[in-house]
Amino acid sequence: MASMSPSFKLQCHFILIFLVALRGESRYLELREAVDHDPFLLFGSNLKRELAEEQLYRRALRCLDMLSLQGQFTFTADRPQLHCAVFFIGEPEEFITIHYDLVSIDCQGGDFLKVFDGWILKGEKFPSSQDHPLPTTERYIDFCESGLSRRSIRSSQNVAMIFFRIHEPGNGFTITITTNPNLFPCNVMSQTPNGRFTLVVPHQHRNCSFSIIYPVVIKISDLTLGHLNGLQLKKPSAGCGAKGDFVELLGGAGLDPSKMMTLADLCYPFHGPAQMKIGCDNTVVRMVSSGKHINRVTFEYRQLEPYELENPNGNSIQEFCLPAL
Amino acid sequence: MRLPLLVSAGVVLLALLPCPPCRALLSRGPVPGARQAPQLPQALDFFQPPPQPQQPQQPQARPVLLRMGEEYFLRLGNLNKGPAAPLSPASLPLAGSSGSRLSPDEVTANFFRALLQQLLLLRRPLDSSAGPTERGTESALGGRQEAPERERRSEEPPISLDLTFHLLREVLEMARAEQLAQQAHSNRKLMEIIGK
Repeated sequence: MASMSPSFKLQCHFILIFLVALRGESRYLELREAVDHDPFLLFGSNLKRELAEEQLYRRALRCLDMLSLQGQFTFTADRPQLHCAVFFIGEPEEFITIHYDLVSIDCQGGDFLKVFDGWILKGEKFPSSQDHPLPTTERYIDFCESGLSRRSIRSSQNVAMIFFRIHEPGNGFTITITTNPNLFPCNVMSQTPNGRFTLVVPHQHRNCSFSIIYPVVIKISDLTLGHLNGLQLKKPSAGCGAKGDFVELLGGAGLDPSKMMTLADLCYPFHGPAQMKIGCDNTVVRMVSSGKHINRVTFEYRQLEPYELENPNGNSIQEFCLPAL
Repeated sequence: MRLPLLVSAGVVLLALLPCPPCRALLSRGPVPGARQAPQLPQALDFFQPPPQPQQPQQPQARPVLLRMGEEYFLRLGNLNKGPAAPLSPASLPLAGSSGSRLSPDEVTANFFRALLQQLLLLRRPLDSSAGPTERGTESALGGRQEAPERERRSEEPPISLDLTFHLLREVLEMARAEQLAQQAHSNRKLMEIIGK
């Protein structure tokens, strides 16, 4: 060091200082490189946690709205909003959970915030009172009455809705919508006019409905009323006169399956496709189960095209509720 | 000597203890005489006495109560007409019919604004066109006004919404479009992270 020139010494000192200053940063760079080459990065929980935090969907709610995805939603009244409702719909095999994050309403001043377990439209409910496990009064959960005791509310099927009224501008609420898996969906509202579904009721004494709020052509491809291996029952179910286990096709202009017209009922298992054109605003496949058997029905449906209404008798397709379009 | 050492150790322990995660506050109602915005929530005492209304309530055309069997539900439409009149698609500025180029958010906002206006127009003032049934329910409503707020709220019937299937399908399709857009956005984010 004594033989070095002063300029060289200065350069060495400068380099040393520079390296000391970057020591932390270079270590960070090394860590980043190691992470990039980690083949198990995609399977780590840290990445999933990071994605989940980044992907929490947020937006403002409207007075009349519909949500079909998870996230955090906020409603803030810019003026008195007296008649508001938000519909929630998930996949057929999902429950919906509504969690109150923040509520700022004046209950004493006439505001309310109510969750309804299902959908209700023009006084008609889905699922109907006959198909839902709870009485109608218990399907409404009023925040002003329950408050913090019912902060998270889970639906009994893939649809739910909230009603709210807020007088004071600036008031509102924030909710988080999540979904949970439902292994044996019973009452389902279809999100789409086209699809395929298998409704299974395993040894449960309950009635299940699959609702499609479109005019559709429905094709039932498989119906099992009894054992899953397809064996015929020794004694077939005691007729479709609202007795035993059976499947019925309903059509109507409302939401409530109990107020719809019975278009067909199926009492015996079969495997061949049975097709029916239903031009009603709402089509429902409803399975009535006694709980003694494992019942299953598979069906496909697609939306009716306008031209199909012009040929009502083609392909021996029976039509109902026409003209609906 | 030992005392400062113990105090220092206690302070260090407190600093190292994990903090509970911050949680959003659940408020019960507004502070009397002040406006609140949900983005600045105030930690209200849940058992705070109910604030007196500062301003007289503005006269509003009240919805009509209808009793059917054991169920009460509140309709937004006119009872004389039965179900609410369906909204004509032409009256709504949907993206397909509109000639101007609007962003999806603007179209959605316009749609819901027009929808809400239509729903509000369906409600008639009770004093002008009330039928016998409506007058009876209105008088019943008037008699309840002096009852405590909590009793009135507990007696309120379950509510529903008057909406045609056509509009329900429209909002459903909008929700589906939003879901697909969000899924596409999530997929894009995932690819960005994987590609780093």
